[in-house]
Amino acid sequence: MSPRKVLIVGAGLAGSRCAEVLRAEGFAGEVVLAGDEAHPPYERPALSKELLAGRRDDVALRPEGFWREREIELRLSTRIHRIDVRRRLARTSSGALSWDALVLATGARPRRLPALDGRPGVHALRTLADAFALRSELAPGLRLAVVGAGFVGTEVASTAVDLGVEVSLLEAGALPFAQLLGEEVGRILAERYRSAGVDLRTEARVESLRATRGRPRALRLACGTEVACDAALVAVGAQPATELVGGKALETDACGRTARPGVYACGDAAAAWRPSAASYTRIEHWTSAAAQGTAVARAILGRSAPADDVPYFWSDQFGLRLQHVGHGSGWDRVAVEGAPDSFSARYHAREGTLVGALLANRPNEVASVRRELAGHLLAA
Amino acid sequence: MFRIEIDRSLCSGFGSCVDSAPEHFRLGDDGIAVALLAESSAPGAVEAARACPMGAIAVLDEQGREAA
Repeated sequence: MSPRKVLIVGAGLAGSRCAEVLRAEGFAGEVVLAGDEAHPPYERPALSKELLAGRRDDVALRPEGFWREREIELRLSTRIHRIDVRRRLARTSSGALSWDALVLATGARPRRLPALDGRPGVHALRTLADAFALRSELAPGLRLAVVGAGFVGTEVASTAVDLGVEVSLLEAGALPFAQLLGEEVGRILAERYRSAGVDLRTEARVESLRATRGRPRALRLACGTEVACDAALVAVGAQPATELVGGKALETDACGRTARPGVYACGDAAAAWRPSAASYTRIEHWTSAAAQGTAVARAILGRSAPADDVPYFWSDQFGLRLQHVGHGSGWDRVAVEGAPDSFSARYHAREGTLVGALLANRPNEVASVRRELAGHLLAA
Repeated sequence: MFRIEIDRSLCSGFGSCVDSAPEHFRLGDDGIAVALLAESSAPGAVEAARACPMGAIAVLDEQGREAA
């Protein structure tokens, strides 16, 4: 029998998608979508790009009225303090929410650097509020130190440079993205960042922040040098926001069911079983969150629809649209082809199978690579 | 009946629309999606709009509201 009341904790893409699909596919019971932020569900990928650049303010996933029209009860600014799985209750500061089915879609939180935690002028970027706070700092001539040359860090660096900000980009490794994308691509990207005016420092380990009068002055590196800055962004990855339920990524089957009956998980908080990879994998990608939210809705409706898509993400930075398809690990050699403004990198396993590809300004190759990978990865 | 609109400036050639609704969408030689039908009542069109990571597809009802 299908449950009468679904409580979805987390109003990001995975949770809101789950609510939408429940309604679209005929669920007639109560749907409560609870999020701790003040904003209705929004497009997170835009935060480091158009929103930060000031080109867009409205990043809502759905038009106003969408949730109400579908009788999805949106509970914003609702922080859940405790989840009592046995009694099927979630405690909030304004009372308890009950459920027949619980969906944990609590997302992820930025990793912190203890040395910079809570210091003035130090930002993280995960939420809309974070993005507005960072945006309010970005002005021509500001010196911004970005700690971590991952996708959030490099996208912010790109946006900031376009706004006339002087950017230092600090990477712990010898090259950005070397582990994920290989050294050759790492060199191409490093060169691109530097020629755009970014002060890229590699093998840089931040030790402390020097501040005066409540403003940052410089980051001190382990090698003894200082990087002058007026503001800093810590972008060193994210971890599942699952403190309420043990703090680890929530393992689910491919349909998003946890081991507890009636409890589901999806999105960045979940490590879903991937039949093609024969492992539990936590993937922080838009397409995976959407697919998992959909799979959970269908599981609640009593239909098994396993999510096992080819991993995909994109990044817009320094005049490149980077699109990555497939897995970023398990490759043994990489074949790079093209020019700095438009190239492809194909990643092969030892036995020669294609496991992933990076396409830079080559949208016309994405679908065919994705199909080729689906053939290898999902054929089994 | 839904109206199907593609913002080709947003499309990045991911191609999930073609997987969801091959009768409605194809990718052009530039890799960018093209709508094969302007209108439809098939659920595949809604599915395609939802699956698009760039939000490039709008499926609108008679009142011009998102049907997804």
